[in-house]
Amino acid sequence: MSAAAGRGKLTVVGQSLPMLGAHDKVSGRALYVSDLKLPHMLHAKILRSPYPHARIVHIDAERARRLRGVKVVLTGADTPRPIGAIGAHKDEHILAVDKVRHVGEEVVAVAAVDENTALDALELIRVDYEELPAVFDPEEALGPGAPAVHASGNLVREIRIDRGDVDAGFASAAVVHEATYQTQPQYHAPMEPTGAVATIDASGRLTVWAAVQSIHRNQLRLADALGLPTSRVRVIQPHMGGSFGGKLGEDSTHYIAARLALACGRPVRLLNTRLEDFLGVRARMAARIRLKMGVDPAGRITAKETWIHGDNGAYCGLSPEVILVIAARLDSLYRHRNVRTLARLVYTNNPPSGAFRGFGNPQMAFALESHLDVLAEQLGMDPLELRRRNSVQPGDTTIHGWSIGSCELSKCYEETAKRIGGPLRRRPRAPADGAPVAEGRRRGIGIAVAMHVSGARQAADWDGSNVVVKLTPDGRAVIICGEGDIGQGGPTALTQIAAETLGIPPDHVTVTPADTETTPFCFGPMASRLTLVAGNAVIKAAEGARRQLLSIAGQLLEASPEDLTIAGGAIHVVGAPDRRVTIAQACTAHIFRRDGEDIFARGTYDAPSVVADRKTYLGNVSAAYSFAVQAVEVEVDVETGVVRIIRIVAADDVGTPVNPRAVEGQIHGAIAQGVGYALFEGFALENGRLLNGNLADYPVATAASMPTPETVLVDGWEPNGPFGAKGGSEAPISPTAAAIANAIYDAVGVRITSLPITPDKILRALRERGGRRDA
Amino acid sequence: MSLPRHRLTLRVNGEEQELLVESRRLLLDALRDDLGLTGTKRGCEEGVCGACTVLVDGRHVRSCLLLALQVRDRAVTTIEGLAGDGALHPIQAAFIRAGALQCGYCTPGFIMTTKALLDARAALTEAEVREALSGNICRCTGYAHIVEAILALTEDTKR
Amino acid sequence: MRDFVFLEPRTMAEASGMLADHGDAARLLAGGTALVLLMRNRLASPSHVVYLGGVPDLDRIVIDDDGLRMGALATHAAIAAHPGIRARYPVIADTAGVVANPQIRNVATIGGNLCHGDPASDPPACLLALGARVRAVRGAAARDIALDDFFTDYYENALAPGEIVAEVFVPAPPPGARAAYTRFVTSAAESRPLVAVGVRLTLAGAACTEARIALGAVAPVPRRATRAETFLRGRTLTPDVVAEAASLAVADLDLVSDFRGSADYRRDVARVTVRRTLGRALGGAA
Repeated sequence: MSAAAGRGKLTVVGQSLPMLGAHDKVSGRALYVSDLKLPHMLHAKILRSPYPHARIVHIDAERARRLRGVKVVLTGADTPRPIGAIGAHKDEHILAVDKVRHVGEEVVAVAAVDENTALDALELIRVDYEELPAVFDPEEALGPGAPAVHASGNLVREIRIDRGDVDAGFASAAVVHEATYQTQPQYHAPMEPTGAVATIDASGRLTVWAAVQSIHRNQLRLADALGLPTSRVRVIQPHMGGSFGGKLGEDSTHYIAARLALACGRPVRLLNTRLEDFLGVRARMAARIRLKMGVDPAGRITAKETWIHGDNGAYCGLSPEVILVIAARLDSLYRHRNVRTLARLVYTNNPPSGAFRGFGNPQMAFALESHLDVLAEQLGMDPLELRRRNSVQPGDTTIHGWSIGSCELSKCYEETAKRIGGPLRRRPRAPADGAPVAEGRRRGIGIAVAMHVSGARQAADWDGSNVVVKLTPDGRAVIICGEGDIGQGGPTALTQIAAETLGIPPDHVTVTPADTETTPFCFGPMASRLTLVAGNAVIKAAEGARRQLLSIAGQLLEASPEDLTIAGGAIHVVGAPDRRVTIAQACTAHIFRRDGEDIFARGTYDAPSVVADRKTYLGNVSAAYSFAVQAVEVEVDVETGVVRIIRIVAADDVGTPVNPRAVEGQIHGAIAQGVGYALFEGFALENGRLLNGNLADYPVATAASMPTPETVLVDGWEPNGPFGAKGGSEAPISPTAAAIANAIYDAVGVRITSLPITPDKILRALRERGGRRDA
Repeated sequence: MSLPRHRLTLRVNGEEQELLVESRRLLLDALRDDLGLTGTKRGCEEGVCGACTVLVDGRHVRSCLLLALQVRDRAVTTIEGLAGDGALHPIQAAFIRAGALQCGYCTPGFIMTTKALLDARAALTEAEVREALSGNICRCTGYAHIVEAILALTEDTKR
Repeated sequence: MRDFVFLEPRTMAEASGMLADHGDAARLLAGGTALVLLMRNRLASPSHVVYLGGVPDLDRIVIDDDGLRMGALATHAAIAAHPGIRARYPVIADTAGVVANPQIRNVATIGGNLCHGDPASDPPACLLALGARVRAVRGAAARDIALDDFFTDYYENALAPGEIVAEVFVPAPPPGARAAYTRFVTSAAESRPLVAVGVRLTLAGAACTEARIALGAVAPVPRRATRAETFLRGRTLTPDVVAEAASLAVADLDLVSDFRGSADYRRDVARVTVRRTLGRALGGAA
C-alpha cells in the first residue's frame, strides 16, 4: 500500500460529505431511465405466461400486428440465441422458446406508438398452451417422476464440502442441536421498476440506456445474446432508482428493448409495471436449511453439518453463485474445525431467484444465528459469550482458507452489549428503555452476527477495477470510471479518496456517468466491492496524476518534484510558500507545450484474492471482510402475535468509514430490508402464481414501522483497503432476521424457524406451547 | 376508436397551462409527458409508495391515481416548482445535509409530502413525522435520515 | 387504461340521468383513488365516467341535533380535521384519520369509500357500529339505506341503477353512548386493516342498554355481531362478560382466508380486537 493511502491524518476521507448528485435528486432533475425520451420513440409491452409450466403450441399475433400503431411484434422464434452469463448456465432466451417455465415468463413483445396501443395489442394476441405438470418444491423436484423443468434435469448444482472429522466433532460435543429453517423469496422493491431505452444508429449500432448495475457485464451479455460484436453494443447507465442486486441484468427487460429496436429500427422504451418488476427480477432465493451443530462444555463449536435445498426457480441467473454463498460463506465467521455440507440448487416452476443484497448470507445467517441461540440456552451460556468464544480473529485463516485481515468483532460485541444492556441470557426482564409495557405484551432482546466480503473473485479470475483520473485545465479532477452508481453512494466515496490522494477539495472531483463507450471495463457495484476495489484503483490513478502534476510544477518552479507539496489549490516548494503555481496553471501548462497533453493517469487494481478451488471450495476469495453485529429489542403482543420493533443497535466493522453518514445510511437501509425479511416480506405463491405482486399486498418497511437504529462504526483499519476502508452495504442486512427471531424467543419463549415470522406463526406456536391466554 | 380530447387548463408551478388530453390521461403522465416535468416519479402504481406525490391546491396527493381532468383549473405544485431557479428550498437543503436520500427516486415525493406537512404544522414529534410519512416508501435509507432532516426543519421553524 | 367519455354533470339529477343513459357501461367517479386504479389495471373499463366533482356542495359536512351529515364527496382528510366531528363524533374523525395514507385521505371520499365496498377498509365498520345510513338519490327520488343493508357482497352494494349516494347520515348518539374503533394490522408497514372493529355501547349506570358491534375486513361485507349485541344488552360489563361477548362476536362469522391471514388467525384476532375495543369504549385499557 502506498504512502498516500497510509494511516496518516485524513482530511477528506472520513468526512460526511453530501452525496454526489444530491442537488439534482432533490430538485427532480436527476434523469432515470423512465425520464428518457428519444424522437420517434416506440413503447413496448410484454405478454407473459399465465402458466407455471406449459408447451407453447401456437402463437397467433396477426391481429396485433395489424392494429394501427403497432410497429413490431416478436416471439421466441425471433430470439433463438440463449442468454445468460458467458460460460455459465445459459438456460433461457430473451422470449420463451417452445416452453414456458414460470408464471410471468416473457412470451411476446410488442412495440407501438404508445403504451396504450401496445397494451391493446397484447389483448389481441392468442397463445395456445398445452399445460404441463409443474413442480414447486425443490425436494419434490429431485424426487422420482418429478416433472423435468429443463431437459438437463432439475439438479442445477450440488456442492459437497467435508472438512475435519465431523462425526468425531459431534461425538465430543456436550450439546448437539438439529433443526430445519425455511426462508422465503424476497423482492428487492426498488422504488424504480426496471426499464430500458434502446436505439440503433444508421449503421445498426445499438445503444441501450438501461437500469442495470453492471454496464460492461451487460454489454458482453447483450452482444452475445443478440449475436453482435461487443463493439456494436453500447450500454449507458442513467440514474438508478435503487437496485439491491435486482438490477444486475439477469432479467430480460433490456434484452427485449434492444431486440425490438433492432427489429424496427426505431428507439424503443420498455418500462416494467410494478407487477412485471415483481415477476421479472430475480428475488432472494428461498432456501430450506437443515442444520446440526455441536458445542463443547466451554461453548466451542465442535462440528457443523448442513443440508441445503435452494429453490432456483425456472432459470439460473446468479443463483448457482448464491447457493455457494449460502453453503459456505458464514463458515468463516467462526473458528470451525469440522464442517460438512451438502447443498443442492434445484429447478422448479417458481419465478427465478437470484442476487439480492447479502447474496445468500441472510438465508444462512437466519438459520445459523437462530441455531447458536438454542445451543447457548442449552449450555446455559449467554448467547453473546458463545459467539465471542467462537469468532474469528484478525490473522486467522478460516476453515475455507479465508485470510481474515482486519476484524473488529470484539469491539462490535462490546459496543452492542453496552448499548442494548446485556447480558442476554433469557430471564424476565423489564424493557431496556424503562417504558411501561401494556398488559399482554412481552419484551425481549436478541442478537445476531454476520460478515460479508469486500469484492469476491469468481470464475473469471478478476476482481479488479480500472479507472482514469484526468485533471482539467482549471485544476479539477474527473474520475473516468464505469463502476456506476446504484444510489448507494459509491462514487461519492471515490471522489473523497481521489481528493485525499490529490490534495484538492472533494467538490473539485467528479465521476463520469457509466458508459461502456468511454469508461474502462468494470464489474460495477456488487459484492460490496466498490469502496475497496475501485477505491484502490482510484488511489493509483490519483497518485499518477499527482506525479504528473508535481513534475510539471517542478519544471515551472525550477524545483525538484520531491520538494513540492499541494495545498490550498496550489503547488508550492516546501518551506517557501511564495514559490507556487496554482493547480490550474500547472494543468494548463501541461497541455500547452510541445508534446503536451492532459494530466491523465490510469489506475489498475486487482484484489489479492484467489478463485476458490473448483472441487474443494478452498481459497481466500476476497481482499477483506466486514462484520456486523446487531441487537434488537422487540415487544410481542401475546394475544395477536404482533411484533413491534422497539430498538435496534447495530455495530459495524467497515474499516475506515470513507463517508460515515453514507455508511450509516447503508446500515439503516439494510436493517429496514432485514426487518421486512424477518417479519412481513415474502412472495405469496400458489402453484407458482404470485398472489401479492404489488406494494399494497407485499408491504415493505415504512417510516412508522421502523425505529431509528443506533449505529456504531467501530474503530477499524483494513490493511488492504483504501485508507483502511472496506465494504459496508451488505453485511448489515444479514443478522437482522435472526436477531429478531432471537428477540421474539426471548420475549415469549417460542422459536419460529421459518421466515417471515408472521403474527399468525407466533400465535400458533404460543398455542402449541400452551402458553396462550384466551381472550 | 379514438374519443374526443378535452381542453384542460390548470396552473402548474405558478404558470397557466393549457393541454389537450384524453379522458384517461393521468395527472402524473400529463406532468411528465405533456409538460416535461419528470421530477414526479411513477413508483408502485398502486397508491402506496408516494413517489408521484404532488400538491394540488396545497394538499399532497397521488398524481398516479388522479385523472388530469380532475384538477381542472386547480393549482399544482411539483418538485420543480418548489424553489426558484438554481436555488434550493430549505427542505431540499435539509435533505442533502442529513443524507436523507440515496438513489433519489422517492426523494421528490418525500419532499412534497414534507412541504405539505410543514405548511400544515410547524411543530412535530418524531412519532408524528413517521406517521405523516406513512404514504411514502423509501427502500434505501431506512427513513432515519429523512426523519432527522424533517425534525431539523421543525426545530428551525420553532426558533 | 381504456379511454372513455368523461361526463361532468352540474347537478345530481343530471348525474343520475347520465348513469341511467349508459347503464352498466357507466361508472361514477368521486375521488377516484379506487376507480382509477381499477381502470388502470383494466379490471374496470367503463365507456362513460360520470365525474361528481362539479356538483356543488356535495362535500358539505353539517352537524345538528339529529346527527351528522357528511356529503358523499367529503374527503377522509376533511372529516378527520372537521372541528365539529372531532368534538362530537371523535371516533369518526379518528377513523377517517387512519384510512390508507395521507395522500389518499386528501382525495378519497366517504361516499366513494362506502360505494366501492372494499372489505379491507376502516370507515364501514366504524359507521355501521354508529347506526349510519346513506341517502341514495335518483332524480327527484331519494331513499335512505341503513349500512346494515347497504353492503351486499365484495365490491357490491344495494344501490339501484342510476342511484347515487349523496350523503352519509350518522344519528346523534343516545345519552350514555360510548364508541370506539380499532383497526388491527399485522405490522405498522400494513396500510389496510386485517380486522376492523367498531363498537358503540349505551350505558345506564353500570348496565348496558344497547350494544352495537360491527366487524369489517374479516368477511366479504362488514357485519353486525348480533348475538354478542343481544348478549350484552342488560348486562353489567365486567371483563368476563366482555370476553364472552367477544367470543360470541366471532362464533359464526363467515371468515375470509387469504395470504394476508388465515381464517383461524382472523378469528383469533377478531375476538381479541372486539374485546379490546369494547374495553376501550368502556374507558379501560383491556
